[in-house]
Amino acid sequence: MNVYVRYLLRKFGWYTLTFFIAVTLNFILPRLIEGNPIAMIVATMAQGMTDADRQRRLFESYMQQFGLDRPLFEQYLIYLGNLFRGELGVSFGMFPRTVENIIATSVPWTIGLQLPAIITAWVVGNVLGALAAFKKGLFDKIVFPAMLLANAIPFFAMSILLLYLFALNLDWFPIGGGFSPRLMPYLSLTFIGSVLRHHTLPFLSLVFVMLGGWAIGMRSMAIYELNTDYVLYSKLMGIRESKIIRYVFKNAMLPQITGLAISLGTMVGGALITEIVFNYPGIGMRLFTAIRTLDYPLISGITLLIITGVLLANFLIEIVYGLVDPRIKSAQLEE
Amino acid sequence: MYYVNVLLKSHKFVIGAFVLVSIVLLAILYPFINTADPKDLVAMAFEPPREGLILGTDNFGRDVFLQLAHGTRTSIFVGLLAGIVATSIGLVLGLISGYIGGLIDDVITTFTNMFIVIPSFIILIVISVSLDVRSATLVSLIIGFTTWPWTARAVRAQTASLRNREHVNIAKISGYTTPRIIVSEILPYMASYVVMAFVLQIAAGILAEAGISMLGLGPHDTISLGVLMQWALLYEAPATGAWWAFVPAALFIAAISFSLNYMNSGMDEIFNPKIRGN
Amino acid sequence: MNNKHIMVVENLQTHYRTRLKEHVYAVDGVSFELEEGKVLGIAGESGCGKSTLALSLMAFYFPPLHFKEGSILIDGVDVMKLPYEKLRTQVLGEKIAYIPQAAMNALNPTKRIIRFIEDIFHEHRPKMSKIQVYQMVSERFKSLNLPPRVLEAFPNELSGGMKQRTVIAISTLMNPTILIADEPTSALDVTSQKVVMSMLKKLMEKGYVKSMIFITHELPLLVHIADDIMVMYAGEIVERGKSKDVIFDPVHPYSKALMNAIIVPEKDMKNQKLSAIPGAPPNLKQVLRGCRFIDRCKYRNDICFSINVDKISEIRHSSRTYRCIFDIDTLQEMYKKESQSDGR
Repeated sequence: MNVYVRYLLRKFGWYTLTFFIAVTLNFILPRLIEGNPIAMIVATMAQGMTDADRQRRLFESYMQQFGLDRPLFEQYLIYLGNLFRGELGVSFGMFPRTVENIIATSVPWTIGLQLPAIITAWVVGNVLGALAAFKKGLFDKIVFPAMLLANAIPFFAMSILLLYLFALNLDWFPIGGGFSPRLMPYLSLTFIGSVLRHHTLPFLSLVFVMLGGWAIGMRSMAIYELNTDYVLYSKLMGIRESKIIRYVFKNAMLPQITGLAISLGTMVGGALITEIVFNYPGIGMRLFTAIRTLDYPLISGITLLIITGVLLANFLIEIVYGLVDPRIKSAQLEE
Repeated sequence: MYYVNVLLKSHKFVIGAFVLVSIVLLAILYPFINTADPKDLVAMAFEPPREGLILGTDNFGRDVFLQLAHGTRTSIFVGLLAGIVATSIGLVLGLISGYIGGLIDDVITTFTNMFIVIPSFIILIVISVSLDVRSATLVSLIIGFTTWPWTARAVRAQTASLRNREHVNIAKISGYTTPRIIVSEILPYMASYVVMAFVLQIAAGILAEAGISMLGLGPHDTISLGVLMQWALLYEAPATGAWWAFVPAALFIAAISFSLNYMNSGMDEIFNPKIRGN
Repeated sequence: MNNKHIMVVENLQTHYRTRLKEHVYAVDGVSFELEEGKVLGIAGESGCGKSTLALSLMAFYFPPLHFKEGSILIDGVDVMKLPYEKLRTQVLGEKIAYIPQAAMNALNPTKRIIRFIEDIFHEHRPKMSKIQVYQMVSERFKSLNLPPRVLEAFPNELSGGMKQRTVIAISTLMNPTILIADEPTSALDVTSQKVVMSMLKKLMEKGYVKSMIFITHELPLLVHIADDIMVMYAGEIVERGKSKDVIFDPVHPYSKALMNAIIVPEKDMKNQKLSAIPGAPPNLKQVLRGCRFIDRCKYRNDICFSINVDKISEIRHSSRTYRCIFDIDTLQEMYKKESQSDGR
């Protein structure tokens, strides 16, 4: 069998196993600790409702969908079955909306925030890092500590800082929300403009912090590569500077690409706090409210989503990396 | 003492330590000066800083500065405990899998890798959500139990490289038992790594607590820096413009984590000197 | 006998500049001539400046290594005065080529060997097509006993010895006038060492290179390959002569000590007494006055300590040169007395 196919299958097996463990944890942990919070909460919430009819309907739909009266192992199987059909239950706090539906409306906001932020930070960070490594001198002496500082600031601190400086103090940007509360979602220029305005600060707070990490990483990699024996040997054989830079760049990029893929994987869950600080209508905000209202199905659904995203991204990178890096290929050969 | 002297030569370590110690001292000493209960109402809600109220009041009318001091105590406690738990678990697992190797190593490594890939923060959320009552100790323990994989991996790598050293082989031939070899021949050489890992775990613990508390899953009935932030976010402090209710807390978290990382950076330079190509 | 001087080095001085702006002298006034068709061996301990000398001879300076003074003439042209572009396209790899120590890491791990070679040809023979390059290179590899399959491989698919030989082959593709081999066998096992040595000899025989400079810390290796030997210590040449002379009848105390320290069971050398040279090469941060070997020399006496010149000058005696205040007869007397007192 082809070496690479074996590698693929091994990785696939491992990730599937990990996924199942994660899903099981996601299912079991809440139930193990509290007994069966779902059942209890359903009962409590049902009591809190004034409409007896709604009570009954909620209770019944839950019992049916999740088999709350069955033994735990059966519930687990039902859970898995629902999962594969894409059913994650009905939200407690936003009844009768389903969890899938809520997630589906919030995810685009989160991705719309994260995707451009990650890519921008990656590009700008790598360029800065590479420049610092090549140019050295004053440029490096300023850029490097700045990047260290930016990287060390926790996300939420940056969000709060920007919020404080630009929204509260200078009033250049709105304080929160996805768009102006006075507008209705409609594909008009005003609406889009409003969205962009509200998007800017959270976007920037993510970019500034992530930048630092990429820049530092790229700089280290580039410096390391620049000092390798093969760079020296290539120069001694008369190869021109621009080509050597290309060698270095290509070798330094490999781990950066991996990093990008991993970042993209954590996209869904990565900006929780930022969204909360800016009241941004994404997954993070939903999780926040879900926790406050003890909306277990929603919480469970969101955490599952995040786990899935991360695992999927990691798996995809390992596959791509195995294709791209000859060192991995031959390491597989040795096994 | 030798190590302390050597560490003091590193600028990074000294600066980091200075910042950290200042904050810790403030957190420990201030409540002795101002012995009031941080939960007492002292003025109107969201009053800006003024005479007698260094950082004004929060949404309930409580003294923010006092809360900051108490909150820092809690956060540092959580960080420390979480750090101890995480480092211990990571150390034990790493030593075992790194030294013994073979099947045990494969099992532990696979297990560790799984936990590295599954985002620990999410597991943290999942566990915390299910608990009715969460004390600071419990939160620390949970954080400790979810953030150890990184240390385990680092320890394993170190152990694996150390186990081929001569003195280890000599001990093996002399018939020492495995635990004794690990403790007397391997552990001492890893001391610096373990300390650095511990420092980073504390920083991770503090950030994890801040995060989990901000989400609303922090310790009940306790003030921590994260909880302060959560109140601010929950009660619309930003919208009201009451910066004193959340900016200082955020700064403190950032400063603590930053100083710990800086200290770690300094230690790295001292303990693992590399020839710099500048 | 062909006396054409392919390379003439005159008073070469290079130094390292540390972060604290101190100067550490690496090559401190080295002069020599290299004849066509000859192999010149450079011997010395680690840290005496051999590798720095090699890089300096390539006229390749980069921080923290700086050129201070001197001239390097290759075929009559002072390469230090050439603009970098000319140096890069016409000298490096073409007139003078370098085989790095530990060639294992000298190849870009993510590039196939042939792609790297194509890049080299692009600089030196831009008119050749890829097919022509491949043909020429596979012929050359075959003639050096290297399987052409190596060309399509990635560096990590080759063994250490194979990598070393590949690098040697690559360095000589342009038929450089001078080949500098920097400890080509230090990182290899004994079998691979023999293969590499015979490969180098073959390069000279086939005329792929005209002259060679072979750098090593193992003097005995030079017996098989070098015509002349220079012994280097603390940035200076302390002895120079025909290789058999230097190895079997060393003049300078350092050369003698180097020979006493060898462990190689070469046929003619079994009778040597083994002893390490105590101490370490001097720190070249300060400019040293007088004899630099004085701290570790067994034969020193009061006169040595009272010397008050900047440099010990060289004494020429028939075809040998050495840097010591004693004349050759005195030294050989001292050596004879020593071996007699050892009871041989």
